[in-house]
Amino acid sequence: MKSTRKPAALALVGALTAGALAACSGGGDPQDESTNSAGQVTLSVVSLLPGSTEEAVAAFEDQVAEFEKANPDIDVQPEEYEWKATTFAAQLAGGTLPDVFEIPFTDAQGLVENGQLADMDAQFRALPYAEQFNPTILEAGTGEDGHVYAIPAKNAYPVALHYNRQLFESAGLDPDSPPTTWEQVREYAKKIADANPGVAGYATMTQNNTGGWQLTAQTVARGGRTVETDADQKATATLDNPGTQETLQFLHDLRWEDESMGGNFLLDWGSINQEFAAGQVGMFTSGSDIYTSLVQTNAVDPDTYGLAPIPLSDAPESATLTGGTLAGVPANVDEGVKDAAIKWIDFFYLNKLVDEDRAVADAETLAKNDQPVGTPVLPMFSKEQYELNQEWIADYVNVPLDQMTAFTDAMFDLPLAGEPSQKTQEVYALLDPVVQAVLTDEGADIDALLADANTQAQALLDQG
Amino acid sequence: MTVTTSPRGDVAAPARAAGAGRPRRGPATWLRGGGLHSLVFLLPLLVIFGVFSWFPIVRAVIMSVQETNLVTDPTFVGLDNFRHVLADPLLWKAVQNTLYFAFLALLFGYPVPLVAAVLMREVRRGRGLYSALAYLPVVVPPVVAVLLWKFFYKGGPTGVFNTILGWVGLGPYPWLQDASWAMPSLVLAATWAGAGGTVIIYLAALTSVPAELYDASEVDGAGLWRKIWHVTLPQLRGVLFITLILQVIGTAQVFLEPYLFTGGGPNNATVTVLLLIYRYAFQNSLGGDYGAATALSLMLAAVLAVFSVLYFRLTRSWSTS
Amino acid sequence: MTLSSTARPAPASGARRRATPSDDGDRGALSAPDWRRPAVRWGMGGTHVLLLVLLVVVGLGPMLLLAKYAVTPTQDILRTPLALFPHGIAWENLERAWNDVQVSRYFMNTVWLALGSWAVQLVVATTGGYALSVLRPRYGKVVQALVLSTMFVPAVVLLVPLYLTILDPPLLGRSLVDSFWAVWLPAGASAFNVLLVQRFFDNLPREVFEAARVDGAGPYRLFWSIVLPMSKPILGVVSVFAVIAAWKDFLWPLLVLKDPEIQPLSVRLPAIEASTELGVFLAALAISTVLPVAMFLVFQRLFLRGAGLGGAVKG
Repeated sequence: MKSTRKPAALALVGALTAGALAACSGGGDPQDESTNSAGQVTLSVVSLLPGSTEEAVAAFEDQVAEFEKANPDIDVQPEEYEWKATTFAAQLAGGTLPDVFEIPFTDAQGLVENGQLADMDAQFRALPYAEQFNPTILEAGTGEDGHVYAIPAKNAYPVALHYNRQLFESAGLDPDSPPTTWEQVREYAKKIADANPGVAGYATMTQNNTGGWQLTAQTVARGGRTVETDADQKATATLDNPGTQETLQFLHDLRWEDESMGGNFLLDWGSINQEFAAGQVGMFTSGSDIYTSLVQTNAVDPDTYGLAPIPLSDAPESATLTGGTLAGVPANVDEGVKDAAIKWIDFFYLNKLVDEDRAVADAETLAKNDQPVGTPVLPMFSKEQYELNQEWIADYVNVPLDQMTAFTDAMFDLPLAGEPSQKTQEVYALLDPVVQAVLTDEGADIDALLADANTQAQALLDQG
Repeated sequence: MTVTTSPRGDVAAPARAAGAGRPRRGPATWLRGGGLHSLVFLLPLLVIFGVFSWFPIVRAVIMSVQETNLVTDPTFVGLDNFRHVLADPLLWKAVQNTLYFAFLALLFGYPVPLVAAVLMREVRRGRGLYSALAYLPVVVPPVVAVLLWKFFYKGGPTGVFNTILGWVGLGPYPWLQDASWAMPSLVLAATWAGAGGTVIIYLAALTSVPAELYDASEVDGAGLWRKIWHVTLPQLRGVLFITLILQVIGTAQVFLEPYLFTGGGPNNATVTVLLLIYRYAFQNSLGGDYGAATALSLMLAAVLAVFSVLYFRLTRSWSTS
Repeated sequence: MTLSSTARPAPASGARRRATPSDDGDRGALSAPDWRRPAVRWGMGGTHVLLLVLLVVVGLGPMLLLAKYAVTPTQDILRTPLALFPHGIAWENLERAWNDVQVSRYFMNTVWLALGSWAVQLVVATTGGYALSVLRPRYGKVVQALVLSTMFVPAVVLLVPLYLTILDPPLLGRSLVDSFWAVWLPAGASAFNVLLVQRFFDNLPREVFEAARVDGAGPYRLFWSIVLPMSKPILGVVSVFAVIAAWKDFLWPLLVLKDPEIQPLSVRLPAIEASTELGVFLAALAISTVLPVAMFLVFQRLFLRGAGLGGAVKG
């Protein structure tokens, strides 16, 4: 009895520890082993934002099915994904990013320098339309060695003014003539807030670096720049420029004199979209392309949506801040995954912009599932190509384009400015509390706040 | 709560003496004598503690003097991480905020459960109902509680709390949307979620106050207040002190509330030390400063170790006396 | 460290005067004669009614509100949060929360996390406690000291290095991120549990062990057939703590469980907050609350006793 029990017990404890560890290696599949011996490639890709509607998921699954039919050796695994400055690093370090993930323009250079993006140059150059990209957009994902690491994919957008037409009407404003100056924004915001208790006439983002992002956008629209870079790439923080001061003073006046900014000042990209879709925000600024996600995740009522360019001041350098999304591939994947990745990038993001059949098929799938088709963005290729594309899909466009004419009429004539190129997200992070201070503390000393943030930003930039 | 005293020393002593008296043995006798069995039984503990506790603790110390970003090889930087952290203006803000949180948590969360428990102890019928009601918030998942209160706290006249207070002509208050309001709002929600547990602990302790003590003080003609002051509270002394220390240790590591309610805002008014550690390590989208994060956690640990020692001494003296 | 609920002294014989419900030796500061005084009866009685009202408002109120919002149309919640269903009841909130948000899945994930952590903690604590308390190898003192020392290191120190360990655990060659094991295994490293169990084992009568040994029981049978059956009370206590701790955990699962398929409620709910319509979101919160509350109401005694022990054992 004793002799049989001992090994059994040994095995038991062994199984509890070693076995437990072995069991860990069961599920999932690590990124660096994605190509198996049969040549079948498993490719995880970005699907939709967390919490998307069933229709959006269905549309996405249709697209995946179509892709897998055309590429039987690739098994696509959609993963929901939202790029947030505050969670991305953990995903990157944790190796939990999909094989094709999305990053903003601002982060590509840093990721390339850190060696965290796969060199996609060979795959990219093989695309038939590789030479047609708008060079300034392509630059965002190109490393110092001239290789393309991250590929402009999802969108490029100017920051624009989004407004709620229904709230405009409730305040006796004409929803077809959105404000064109910041003075009008202030005036309209007051009217909206007065007519709808609890509603913010105007709101702005303040959290997860988006406060700094929108402060920068509104600064640029007033002719200011938060960072100046000289010919040697030496960056100087200029957070205390008149444009930023004016923006903060503007926010202060709306918040404290007009009380037209509602009661919630802790908002980020996702939560301001939600408040807007729920009719709690009259106007706010964000990328011009958010209509798509307003539909996919917030089920916005299309009739209420209006889009206009961000108002530009008379200052000589006033411009519209642009931004965009790149598709990247983690540095540690093998060639098979990279080849599969470029096929997906081509299929899902790019080919539909240059190929008529693909454009129509894509629009058809989306429209069939009641997903937005035709949300205005900046052309990733030439303006001509963009307009050609719009013609191809004209039959399927289901976004309320006539409610976006204020924007679409002007979009090709807007003076554009890119985001600061160094330590962008870190400087944005420094600006979040500044915006929050102005909105939550009536006596906030704007000049002192900016001077303080400027010192810290300069220290960051000097680290190189 | 009564902790019975079994004569553990008496029983254990012979075994220990026998062990100490064993002669030295070679590996073969060690195996036969059961050394392997002990190892087998210790294996889960050694593996789990080794990998998930001892090794990470050592690693924390090493990382605190290194620059680690998971991209390039770590380099030794001496005390730079500590210097960097101590020079961060946000650190002092975070320390202040954490102390403030702890202070408010004591202010809200310490006397209320005590008073409630003492009163509930005197309930003669349906004490179970009182306990259940008091404990109900504790069973709500903490994240749900925070998200619910976040919604209650909505600023402006259409927030839930503001609407209720509006009925009696108060408000609207900014709750989370103001640097000076945010922290008390966080603590209020945390107290709601946690006080019930403390009430039950006190109630359990009160149940074990020996009836003779009350009887005896009544013989001396003591009234209600004197009985509470001279019998009840002294009997609770131990439990009160322990909940105090546990609360200090807990509040020093508060994360959930500031992270979910305010993200540290507005204007960093609710950035706590743990939130700052989290930010160092995980906030920067291009890669964390793990050196700074571990350096700060070690500094916090040093402070808390004092409380841990206190706590340990106390529970030990409790369980053996 | 035996926790005894029977050790309360029996009522003094002289005090056994009448059989009022509260005076069976289970008395508080007020005695039965006290209660007969009108001042006390009205004063304390009134205070108790007040306390009950307060407890209902504070303890039950928020949950009743949540229940109301779970079936209120979003626009009503936003505009008139306390009006009583001015535009009807939105049962579809619940349906959408159940189907779209899939609360049931995340709830089950939460349960799995708790169960796994519980199992790992129990295995580590009982085997380790047994070895240290009963088998007593010579290096046991060192191990015990090492285990004990981790009690003085607050969890925050582990955050980053443990995270990096999970990313690249020794010998495994693959990251544990996005696996339940990333939560289960570290949960086992609880010095508190080991200590608790070990002290309990210390107090078990040695004579029983000796008798078993004489009967020919080896260390494994001794563990399985004698020590464990005698340890039910302490295993119950450890279980209560293990499950509560797993239930409350937020930061750690947030870091290591990135895959929505296996996230617990605590990680999932904040992630979808901004993309879910308010009414549906509150319905999701309500569903997440109903299950634990129901369990509480069913096993009330167990919960409350466990919580009471919290003071005695933690303290």
